[in-house]
Amino acid sequence: MSDKKISSSSTAEYFSKNLQQVGFSSPTKAVLTTLKEAVDNALDACEEHGLAPEIKVEIERLGPGSIKNSERIRVVVDDNGPGIEADDLTKVFGEYLASSKFGRGRCTRGQQGIGISAATTWAQLTCAQGAKVTSKTKAMRKAVSGMVEVDIKNNKGVIKNRETFEWDRPSGTRVEFVFDGRIQVNGEAGILNYLLGTSLVNPHLTLHYRLPEQEWQKSPRVTSTLPVIPEATEPHPHTMKLGEFIAHSHLFGKVKVSGWLKKGFSRISDQVMNEMAKEPKNGLAKGIFDKNVDQLADGDFTKLFTAIQNTELKPPSTTSVLSIGEDAMSKSIQRIGKVDFFSVVTRKPTICDFKPVQVEVAIARLEERASEGDSPVQVLRFANRVPLQFDKSACAIVQAITSVNWRAYGLGQPKDALPQGPYIFAVSVVSPFIKFKNASKETIDASDELVEEIRRTLMQAGQKLSRYIKAEDKANDLEEKIRYIEQFGPILVEGLARITSAKEDQKIRAREGLMKILGRDANEAKNQVSEANRKLEIQKSKDVTEEEVEE
Amino acid sequence: MGLRTGNRKGGKAQNLIPQLSIDLCKKLLSDLEKGKRPVLHATKCALDNAIYNHKVGYLTPGNKKVATELNVSSVKKMSRAVFMLEILLRNIETGAVNTKRELYYISKGEIKGTPMLKPLDFTDQPESDDTIDFICELLESYREDMNCYANDRGGQTYSQQLVVTETLPDGDIATIDLSMLGTSPFQPKNRPQNLRLTAKKKIDFALIVESEGTANTLVANGFTKRNNCILMGSQGVPSNAVRGWSKLIQDHLKIPLYFFGDLDAYTMQNIYRTLKAGSAASLIRNQDYSAPDVRFLGVLPEDIKKYDLFDYPVRENDAQEMRSLKKADDALKNDPFFHDKKNKGVADILRWLLKNKRRCEQQAFFSVNPKDPTMPEKIILDKIKRGDFV
Ligand SMILES: Nc1ncnc2c1ncn2[C@@H]1O[C@H](COP(=O)(O)OP(=O)(O)OP(=O)(O)O)[C@@H](O)[C@H]1O
Ligand SMILES: [Mg+2]
Repeated sequence: MSDKKISSSSTAEYFSKNLQQVGFSSPTKAVLTTLKEAVDNALDACEEHGLAPEIKVEIERLGPGSIKNSERIRVVVDDNGPGIEADDLTKVFGEYLASSKFGRGRCTRGQQGIGISAATTWAQLTCAQGAKVTSKTKAMRKAVSGMVEVDIKNNKGVIKNRETFEWDRPSGTRVEFVFDGRIQVNGEAGILNYLLGTSLVNPHLTLHYRLPEQEWQKSPRVTSTLPVIPEATEPHPHTMKLGEFIAHSHLFGKVKVSGWLKKGFSRISDQVMNEMAKEPKNGLAKGIFDKNVDQLADGDFTKLFTAIQNTELKPPSTTSVLSIGEDAMSKSIQRIGKVDFFSVVTRKPTICDFKPVQVEVAIARLEERASEGDSPVQVLRFANRVPLQFDKSACAIVQAITSVNWRAYGLGQPKDALPQGPYIFAVSVVSPFIKFKNASKETIDASDELVEEIRRTLMQAGQKLSRYIKAEDKANDLEEKIRYIEQFGPILVEGLARITSAKEDQKIRAREGLMKILGRDANEAKNQVSEANRKLEIQKSKDVTEEEVEE
Repeated sequence: MGLRTGNRKGGKAQNLIPQLSIDLCKKLLSDLEKGKRPVLHATKCALDNAIYNHKVGYLTPGNKKVATELNVSSVKKMSRAVFMLEILLRNIETGAVNTKRELYYISKGEIKGTPMLKPLDFTDQPESDDTIDFICELLESYREDMNCYANDRGGQTYSQQLVVTETLPDGDIATIDLSMLGTSPFQPKNRPQNLRLTAKKKIDFALIVESEGTANTLVANGFTKRNNCILMGSQGVPSNAVRGWSKLIQDHLKIPLYFFGDLDAYTMQNIYRTLKAGSAASLIRNQDYSAPDVRFLGVLPEDIKKYDLFDYPVRENDAQEMRSLKKADDALKNDPFFHDKKNKGVADILRWLLKNKRRCEQQAFFSVNPKDPTMPEKIILDKIKRGDFV
C-alpha cells in the first residue's frame, strides 16, 4: 500500500474493485474476514482504553444468497469498548484509510484503516445495505444507531436512519453486517478455529458466541490483567525499500529533511546525519538536511536512501513489542479443551531483519483427541494476536515447525512434515512491523532470521514438552514391564521344564531366579520413572530459564 | 526316520536336534536357578558376517554372533521360542511336517486351548515366522530339518535322460523316469537329501532358465528332444527347492550347469548370485543350497551387439531395478562374492550395468530370427559350444 499514495477519492473505488485482496476472495473468507475485522477492532479499542473486553459474536443464516454458492449471512459483533463518537461513525465504517494508523509502528491488530470499511463495502455490494451500527461513548448521554454506507465515488461514509436511544451500558459498539457468504464452522479455516485462537491469545477476553443452529457459548476471561500496549516505535530505515522511503516522506511534507528523518525513523540522530554528510562516498548535496522534504527531487531521495543504507545504525529497540506471557498463556490454553499437559515459552524480544519481534509458543496435548495419533498436529498461527487461517504452507511459522526434529522430543513426524499427534501448536509472532506475504495478511513472510527465531522458541517448548512425554513413556514402560514379568515368567519356566523334563523343585528355583532377574529390570524402570518425574517437577515448580532448558 | 547321516557340515542333522534343544533348555533353566541372566548366541546372518572363498564356492558364516540376553524386553521373544520349539520337537518325533503358515495356525490352536499361554499369541504370521527363524539360528539348523517346509515354487524340470529315486519317509522307494512325463515337468521338493539322481544316458549339461515360461517354450519347441540335457525353470529368485535341487544335480551328475536369464542388476545379484553361492540371510544353509559350478550363460553385455538384441534403458519408475542398481554399487564394494577375483566376470557385468543403466531380457533372443522358433536354442547351444559364458 505504501509505495503509492492513493488519493482519497479514488481509494474507495480502488478497494471496492479489489476486495479479494483484503480478504473477500471467496464466500467463506468473506464471513471470516468480516468477523475478524470487527473483533480485531473491538479488542484494539478496549486495550487502548484499558477496558477488559467482553465481546458477543452472533452468526446466523438468513436464506439463500445472490452470488454463486452463497447464503445470506448475518454477523453481529457487540463489544463493551470505548465506543465511537457519533460524528466518527461514518469515518470508521464508511471511509477508507480514515484512521491513518498506517506505519505507526504499534503492535495493534489493526494497521491500515481499511478493514471494517471493506466489510461495509462487501455487504453493500452483495446485499445493498451497509453496516448497521450502534455506539455510545461515556461522554454521550444516549447511544446513536444508524446504517452506515460507503459513498464509493467520493470515499465518504453516509449514515441513514440515524436514531438516538437509551442503551444498557456506559459505552460500547455493536455492529451488524448482512451479506452474501458461506459459513464454515469446522476445520483449519473454520469459524470455531478463529474463535478458539482468539480466546487463546487474549486471556483477558470474555467471549460469548452463537453459531447457526446452536446455543450461546461463553468462554470467560482467565486473567483480569490487561496487556500493556507499548509506545509506538518509528520504523528502522534499514527495513525500508526506496519506494516505501519516498512514500513515507509524503506523510511529512513541509518539514526539514533532518526533522523528518529524526521523527519519522528510529535510530537516526544529528550525529548520524553529520557523519553521512561528511562521508564523500555518499555524495550528498550540501545542506540537503536543511531543505524541506517536499523540495527533494527523486535523485535526492535515492542518494539519501543509499547513504542511510550504507551507514551503520543501532538496531531498533525492542521495547515496542508486547507479549502474552507464559503465565497468561498457561491459563488460556485450558480454554481450548481438556488438556493433558502443555508447555509455553515466551522468548525475549529480539531483532529480526532490523525489526523488533517477539515470539511465543504454546503446545498442548488434548485429551479428547487421543485417537488422532497419526494425523498432523493442529497449528494455530498468530500475527499480532490475530489468527491466520489461510495459505499455511508458505508461512514462516509452519516452515519453522517442520524444520524442527520433533522426534527428538518424543513426537511422531514424517520427513519434512508437521509433527503428528493430538497436539495444538500455537505460535504467536508480535511485531510493530510484521511483513506479510500479501495484502490479505494471511502468511508471515518466511525470512531466514524470523524462521530461525521461531524455530528456537519451538525447540525450547519441545524440550519442556518432552519432559512430560518422557515421564509418561517411562510410566507406560514400567507398567508394561511389570505386566511382562507377571505374564511371561511362568510361561517360560513351564516351557523349559517340559522340554527338559525338569523336577518340581528345579522349576520353583528357576521361577524365583527369573523373577529376581526381571525384578532388577523393573526396579531400573521404576528409578527411571521417578527420575523423569523429578525433572518434571523441577520444571513445573520454578520457571525454567533458557539456559537450564538448553542443557 | 533313521535316514539322516548326521555328518553334514552345514546345518545340524535332524537326529541331533532334539538333544541340542534339550541341552539348550537345560542351560537356560540352570542359569535361571542360579539367578544368572541367560544369554543365547545365534550366528549372525548378514553380509558383514559372510565369507566367500572360491574354493569353497558359497558364502559361509564368519565368527560374528548375535547375543540375546534374557531381560524384560526379550522375555516375550524367548518364551515364544521355547513354546514353538516344543511344537517343532513334537513334529520331529512324530515325523509330521508343516508349512510356516500351518505352524502359525497350530500355535494359535495351542494357545486357544490353554488360557495361561494367551500372552504368547501371534497377531500375524510374520511373528510366528520370526520365532521359527530365531530357533533355527539358535540351533544352527535348517528349517527343513525342523520338518517345516516353505511352499516352495519353481524348479520345474524336464529331461529325457534323468531318473530320480526318492526314499519316502516310510522307507519305500519311488523311481521317476522324467522321459515318461511327456511335456509335464518334474517338480523337485525342498528336501533334496532324500533324492538320488542317475542318468539313463550321458547328460551333457543342465540349463537353468530364469523365466518359467521361457523354459516351457524351449521344451515345447523340442529342446530336450534334441539335446541330452536337463532343463529347469527357476521362476525368478530361486527358492530353497531350486537351490537344493541344483546342488543335487551338480553333485550327483557332475555335469556343467548354465544359467540363462535377463541382463540386469536384479538378476545378477538376487538370482544368479543366490543360485551359485547362496545368500547372506541363509549363511548357515548355503552349503546344501547353492550350486557353485553354475555359470552365467547370458544375456551377456556383448550379446547385445553380437545378436543385435533389443535392449532399453532402465526406467525411473522401475522401482525394483532402480533399487538393484543402487545396491549394485554397494555389492561391488562389500559383497565378498563380487570381490573374489574368480568372479571378476560377473562383477564386470554389474559394473557394465551400473555404467550403462540398460537392461536386456532373456526373451530378446526371440527377436533375432522371428520366423525360426528354435533360434534361441541355436544361440544357447552355440554359446555353450564356444564357451561364450562367464
Ligand atoms: N468497535 C470499535 N470500538 C471503538 N473504536 C473502533 C471500533 N471499531 C473501529 N474503531 C476505530 O475505527 C478505526 C478504523 O478501523 P479500521 O478497521 O478501519 O482500521 P484499523 O483497525 O486501524 O486497521 P485495519 O485496516 O488493519 O483493520 C480504528 O482504528 C478505531 O479507532
Ligand atoms: Mg481494523
